[in-house]
Amino acid sequence: MSSTLVIEGLRVEVAGKEVLKGFDLSMKSGEVHVIMGPNGSGKSTLAHALSGRPGYKVLGGSVVLDGVELLGLSPTERARHGLFLAMQHPMEVPGVRPIDLLIAAGADAANLRKRMSDEAQRVELRTDVLDRFVNVDLSGGERKRAEMVQLGILRPKFAMLDEIDSGLDVDALGAVARRLSSATTEWNCGVLAITHFRRLLQELTPTKIHVMTDGRVVATGGPELSEILERDGYEPFRHAKS
Amino acid sequence: MKIFADSALSFISERPDVQDRRRAWSSFQEAGLPTTSDEVWRYAPLNDLSLDDFTVNSFPTEHNDSEFASQLCERAGLVVRVVDGFCVDAGSAPDGVRVEVVENASSVSGTSMLKRYESDTFALLNNALTPATTVVSIGDGVNVEKPIVIVNSTSGSSSFSSTQIKLGRSSSATVVEYFEGGADALVAPLSEYEIGDNASLQLITYQRLSQSAWHVARTSGFLHRDARLRQAVIGIGGHYNRSRNDAEMLDLGAENELRTTFLGSGSQVHDFRTHQFHKAPRTRSTLLSKGAVADESRSVYTGLIEIEKGAKRTDARQTNHNLLLSPHAHADSVPNLDIRENDVVCAHASSVGPLDELQRWYLESRGVTRSDAERLMIQGFFYEMLTTLPHELAALVEQDVTSALALVNVVAP
Repeated sequence: MSSTLVIEGLRVEVAGKEVLKGFDLSMKSGEVHVIMGPNGSGKSTLAHALSGRPGYKVLGGSVVLDGVELLGLSPTERARHGLFLAMQHPMEVPGVRPIDLLIAAGADAANLRKRMSDEAQRVELRTDVLDRFVNVDLSGGERKRAEMVQLGILRPKFAMLDEIDSGLDVDALGAVARRLSSATTEWNCGVLAITHFRRLLQELTPTKIHVMTDGRVVATGGPELSEILERDGYEPFRHAKS
Repeated sequence: MKIFADSALSFISERPDVQDRRRAWSSFQEAGLPTTSDEVWRYAPLNDLSLDDFTVNSFPTEHNDSEFASQLCERAGLVVRVVDGFCVDAGSAPDGVRVEVVENASSVSGTSMLKRYESDTFALLNNALTPATTVVSIGDGVNVEKPIVIVNSTSGSSSFSSTQIKLGRSSSATVVEYFEGGADALVAPLSEYEIGDNASLQLITYQRLSQSAWHVARTSGFLHRDARLRQAVIGIGGHYNRSRNDAEMLDLGAENELRTTFLGSGSQVHDFRTHQFHKAPRTRSTLLSKGAVADESRSVYTGLIEIEKGAKRTDARQTNHNLLLSPHAHADSVPNLDIRENDVVCAHASSVGPLDELQRWYLESRGVTRSDAERLMIQGFFYEMLTTLPHELAALVEQDVTSALALVNVVAP
């Protein structure tokens, strides 16, 4: 079964300032799309706005997943339609255990603890972390691996990864990228990875790369785009569409 | 106050230590019930309190354990049953543990009860009207493996239980004091804990009384050299739930960790008081007080850290967080410090507010509904209190707390 995610003309305001100024992107199940861009270009805003984070005001545009407009829906409904956000800084939720979170999120309770352990091993996360409270006292790297455990259990149609590589050492990055890569074949998961490093792309082969500056996509292309970025930086793209 | 006084005097006249009880009773009468103009009672709904709604029982009424109490007892190595303040079953104590029922017990602080509690009206009532003190003693060097459970139930219209737990040198134990029953009753328990040199007591005070009970409780820990007292207090029941939890660090290296929490619903008032008293150098106290108030319930937390001159290198920390689960609920937080020594570390923090919006969003962004997210976070408030308990005990209490929480309305303010 193939799904589509279509973002058109998305405009989002944060703290009174328009950050996304007409963002467009279209992708299908099983594809890996990478959004690259300098600091302040609106990458994280995109991820948060798509997940309905409080304080992010949508000014216009649409986000349609398999024919369903997500922008009018609650964060819960968006997730239940198959959108998952792995955060740059996953929040600590004291007193809440990962297994209870996952059951409440709709995961099948049968053998859940076992499946969580399996997922943890795939990303080399100590399994005792699964019995602690969500993200409490975990390192940055452990939190990202823990997000991958949730991803593996919840099996979303599309996974957005906000700066998944920041704060990860090379081993952890490899483990996370391999997990994402197999998600694209295991259940045809679409991956939308936000990054400003090329490192991620060595393990996770992108279908398309989008370069973002000042709140919109200014260039889209294949892996060759990341080589241009590596060589020339973002400067050539800054005025590409203006 | 005729009905209550008559039953009290009749009760007292039948006891062997009648003189001491009469002294406690007259001290109580001289002091009288507090009024809301007393600072420490200003939040209590004292207008609703009439002692003549209660009588003093001369013997315990019939009582059957609730299902939860039975489950708790299944996990215990020793079960002591107290009904209406009377120790009705001292259980069969394992080696190294002794349970005695003592008339006219002295305070473990070393003075008489009357002297110790002369300024506390409800403690004086307890001194006069407790059937006897249940004393659990753990011998030097004894490590009690399975939890000791004290089931304290109230079926009559009042209960004045008195409990002492004494740990000998280098001993350790886990004790659960569980309170249930108490419909339309006055429940005023008094507990003391003496923790000997290098001994360790893990204590949970779980109050699940009826929503119509008046609960006025006081616990005091006395910690000797390198002693450790880890106490969790959870208050759910009661029309008025007052819980005063004190600890005195008497000697070098003593350490107290206190976690108190409550859930307010309906028109309940939860009134938590703490006093960590550092009397010796290099003592530590860590206090975490958390509460949630829903509907039209109210809460107050008043905590005092007192550090005596000479108690150098004391480390005392106090944190209080309150969750507002309804626009009509109200919480007050009143931290106090009384420090008479310079060479100390002392910190306090407090907050009052609704559930954290971003934590809630994080859960929602995984597909958890808003109401489930709020429920999980509120449960989490209580689960955090139980992290130091043995796992199977924690799991049981969590389950019970969860069933209580399921009945509470959450309205985003």
